[in-house]
Amino acid sequence: MKLNKYLKDKTYAFILSIISYILIILILLAFKVSKDLIVLIIAILIIFFILMLGIDYFRKRGFYCDLLNKINYLDKSYLVLEMINKPDFYEGKILYDDLYNINKSMIENIKIQEEQLQDFKEYIEMWIHEVKIPLASLVLTLNNHKKLFDNKTKRQLKRLEDDVEQVLYYVRAENANKDYLIKDIDLAMVVKRVGLKNMDDLLDNKIAFKVENIPYQVLTDAKWLEFILGQIINNSIKYKRSIKNAYIHIWAYDDDKQVTLVIEDNGIGIPSSDIDQVFDKTFTGENGRKQGTSTGMGLTICKNLCTKLGHQITIESKQGEYTRVYLSFFKNKYFEVLK
Amino acid sequence: MPKIMIIEDDEVISKELKELLQSNGYRVALIKDFTNTLNEILSYSPDLVLLDINIPYMNGEVLLQNLRKKSNVPVIMVTSKNTEVDEVLSITYGADDYITKPYNPNILLLRIGAVLKRTSKNTNIINYHDLEINISKGLITKGDTEVILTKNEMIIFSYLLNHQNRIVTRDELMTDLWNNDEFINDNALTVNISRLRAKLKDIGYYKAIETRKGLGYILS
Repeated sequence: MKLNKYLKDKTYAFILSIISYILIILILLAFKVSKDLIVLIIAILIIFFILMLGIDYFRKRGFYCDLLNKINYLDKSYLVLEMINKPDFYEGKILYDDLYNINKSMIENIKIQEEQLQDFKEYIEMWIHEVKIPLASLVLTLNNHKKLFDNKTKRQLKRLEDDVEQVLYYVRAENANKDYLIKDIDLAMVVKRVGLKNMDDLLDNKIAFKVENIPYQVLTDAKWLEFILGQIINNSIKYKRSIKNAYIHIWAYDDDKQVTLVIEDNGIGIPSSDIDQVFDKTFTGENGRKQGTSTGMGLTICKNLCTKLGHQITIESKQGEYTRVYLSFFKNKYFEVLK
Repeated sequence: MPKIMIIEDDEVISKELKELLQSNGYRVALIKDFTNTLNEILSYSPDLVLLDINIPYMNGEVLLQNLRKKSNVPVIMVTSKNTEVDEVLSITYGADDYITKPYNPNILLLRIGAVLKRTSKNTNIINYHDLEINISKGLITKGDTEVILTKNEMIIFSYLLNHQNRIVTRDELMTDLWNNDEFINDNALTVNISRLRAKLKDIGYYKAIETRKGLGYILS
């Protein structure tokens, strides 16, 4: 609250006071009151006018400055009412009470939204678990009656499975709920599981799957990591080049602070104009448009999951040559000590 | 022949699962009525139980806890809930493994095989006619002669040995190889099989591994 702005706001009081002083002076002059007395009366009036404004200004200043200050410093400014005292002047009380009511109705509204979102999330999760039952029976039926179905059916089924999985992890990544469990995981085991899961696709596409020795334990949620790696490998398969020695090469290194897993392919790569946006929601880029089947969600979900787990994911690529994805797992000193 | 009990309330899944396990040389029992599951398991005394978490009357996790009070039979939890928390809980309750639906049938078979192997006596040495096969050393012994197999050849040979007189598909072999961190391609599999054949031929088994066109291989 600034003095000059406050005074400007009180212009009407100045004008009215000046008019009243002029009137008083004129009346007193008409009654032939001595000039000294006139000066004295006007002086008293002016002093009291200034006192009145001053008191009013300082009462309000205390409250408003406190309010503005705390709004600026709070990261959730809607909580400011919890931090300030109720003012003792009338306008301030109105403002305070109204802010309180507005806040209350907003919180109620958010609560309803949150509940709806939670219900929706739970429904989707439940639905996914439901839909996996017919999927599982389809997989088994297909396997038991290989002669009735060709590889196309199997591939479509795999796609269906992957898409359902993606929805599940989207829901998990976008919600504040903690449905993950971080513990020591053997990185090589997760890589193997992802490889096995995508074995058919890799073999069909004649992509060599080269995995170096990965002797590291990392702190992560195995299921989430499996999904993240699955998405990365799916992308490598999807955006491969039709060359003879197409490969996916996986290795890892430890540089004291973190363990980094590298997934490299020699696929079509990502244009440099697109590389900064690959993690953006629904961004498909040049490659996605060419392929026509990209949703632009895979890497976004990966990024969100990584953020939640505390991992770092980065991509570097040279168009027409390679794409490298780096997944970094930070070491937790505290956890090491606990062990 | 190991006995496996399937506890699964979805009829299509349990029927197909039964077919899959039977064609892979297991004896299979299903449960139709879930009111008295625990006693049914105990009276059948299977070598392994495939247990779904979502079954009628009693949740699979509770059933597992009750079962563990009375029996040490190996249990593989099979479920569509794929969170780490559920997995850790199941293992804490005493499950031997945890597989999520939808599962790859070959992988399921491998995991069943692994659990059965872990719980039975260690069979590191297998006999095949007059051959003695030491799996961990990768060694075949016939009298005084020794033949060394590479890791890949040993994985293939031991898979065939464990499924004798049954057609083994390339897909199954491939899955087992990948499961052992040997991420090879189709050509390499063919090469490994012909090398294995050559080595068997050297010690007098000319046509031990036969090719069944379009189906796979059979060790007789």
